[in-house]
Amino acid sequence: MVLTAEHLTRRFDSRVAVEDVSFDLVAGEIFALLGPNGAGKTTTLRMLAGLIEPSSGRVRIGAETLSRQNASRLRGRIGFLTEMPGLWDRLTVRRNLFVYAQLHRLSRPDAAVDEALDLLDMRDRAGDPAAQLSKGLRQRVALARTLLHRPAIVLLDEPTAGLDPESAREVRELVLRLRGEQRTLVLSTHNLDEVERVADRVAVMRARLVAVDTPAALRAHLFGARVRVVLVQPGASFINVLRETGFTDIQTNGETLSIGVDDHAADAPLLVRRLVEAGASVVTVVPEQPSLEEVYLRLLQRDARSGAVRS
Amino acid sequence: MTRTVALLRKELADLRQNRAVFLPAVLTGIVSIFLPFFVAIFVPAVTGEQLSDSSDVEIASRIYRDQPALADLNAEGAIQAWIFQQFLVLLVLTPVAGSMSIAAYSVIGEKQARTLEPLLATPLTTFELLAAKVLGALVPALGLTLACFAAYLGGVALLAQPGVFRALLLPAPLAIIFILGPLAALAALQLAVCVSSRVNDARSAQQIGALVVLPIGATLVLQLTGSFQLTVPVIASIALALTAVNAGLMFLGIALFDRESILTRWK
Repeated sequence: MVLTAEHLTRRFDSRVAVEDVSFDLVAGEIFALLGPNGAGKTTTLRMLAGLIEPSSGRVRIGAETLSRQNASRLRGRIGFLTEMPGLWDRLTVRRNLFVYAQLHRLSRPDAAVDEALDLLDMRDRAGDPAAQLSKGLRQRVALARTLLHRPAIVLLDEPTAGLDPESAREVRELVLRLRGEQRTLVLSTHNLDEVERVADRVAVMRARLVAVDTPAALRAHLFGARVRVVLVQPGASFINVLRETGFTDIQTNGETLSIGVDDHAADAPLLVRRLVEAGASVVTVVPEQPSLEEVYLRLLQRDARSGAVRS
Repeated sequence: MTRTVALLRKELADLRQNRAVFLPAVLTGIVSIFLPFFVAIFVPAVTGEQLSDSSDVEIASRIYRDQPALADLNAEGAIQAWIFQQFLVLLVLTPVAGSMSIAAYSVIGEKQARTLEPLLATPLTTFELLAAKVLGALVPALGLTLACFAAYLGGVALLAQPGVFRALLLPAPLAIIFILGPLAALAALQLAVCVSSRVNDARSAQQIGALVVLPIGATLVLQLTGSFQLTVPVIASIALALTAVNAGLMFLGIALFDRESILTRWK
């Protein structure tokens, strides 16, 4: 395991910000933390980055447990993109990065800065004071700073917040490229579309972990597999035919049927055959996939209900 | 150490772009330089009365003419030398004011600009960070003090009686500028860094750091009333005490610099 969180709990006075959070990450994995504001995502990232200590539990970087004694050294293996870009406004982009290259004691700081600037396509703005950059460009410089020392673990707090769609896409591509280099990435975001596109696993949290799995597994777990069939005729006319065939979970909406199945590949041909035999004219048949947003909201609703029961 | 140097260079580069932060120290320096010239040169020139006409400063005159290095000064020159030496203590305020305003800005400014969190996410240790912050404030403040002292010496050489400037090159005045000044500035700025690690605005840090001004002002008053003189042994004792205070403040600064509360309570 490259990065392990073991029963992380963090209290601020009487408030519990993070409660009993555990997960393991391997090299080349993109792990997304999802949750509403105040769910403890940033606090979790800060604990993983060795910036704040857990009240209980521990973080392991490779085989080492992160502690006050080794935090300085282990922070060198981590790149942390903070929620705010945090650039020194009066200094140029190059100078901002150069200071960090020196703080990481890179052997060739100038070359590392050039490489980071090229990676984020910022070479032409290297001489500009950071204060003159747009929000999107500041975020790019912050990303360049995060990756300057080629960290094995990359923690990204809201990496595409405030970026235009094109810049956000470039960041997503960069994230995928980093996965290709076997880096381990933890992403905290509210952007569910982004998570859908890049994350290998998703953790939904509200102080504690509500669910951790791949997006597909979360969908299957919450919604099961479904097939959507659009007919020329009203769907209600064919409910009985489908029930007789063994499909019991059927919803209709005009000409559209939504049918719960055990397995898309095995069940879809059978139900289409039965519908055609019963005189239905089929327009389209597609596996129904709830969006990650639906999955996320369903998980939080379920957690809120179980929380109400607990209290 | 290389990380401290890297951050120190950044601090100095940042200060070069933000010269307004030097304003309190520059104003203090100007006032410190102006006051003795006003008393020793301007007032006698305007009133037409010599300082040596007054019996109030006769004792001072005698003290100074007893010193072999100043024995050749006339009465007016001896009194001028006395005044310029006494007011030299005020020049110590220049590095104190300078370092306090820079130090308070450099920690609280980082907090307010939210630049501290990425910095703390690097391998930089608390000691390295604070050392860079302290040196980043001390170096320019001392540079400014040297410039003020050079201007003071130049002014005395130009405007005062011949030979008076030699009174400022004796061991005691030089020790005030080159030993007490830096040590007082270091204490003030370490106090400002300690406070700025815990408070939310630069003014609070400067106000608490300004406490260092009180003993300096008291020293000047005591000297002018003749109840206390900054001789070399006295200066050595104060320097030892300030060294101990500085060592204590360094440990206190590291202990008070709480990374967690800076990250979690600063929004």
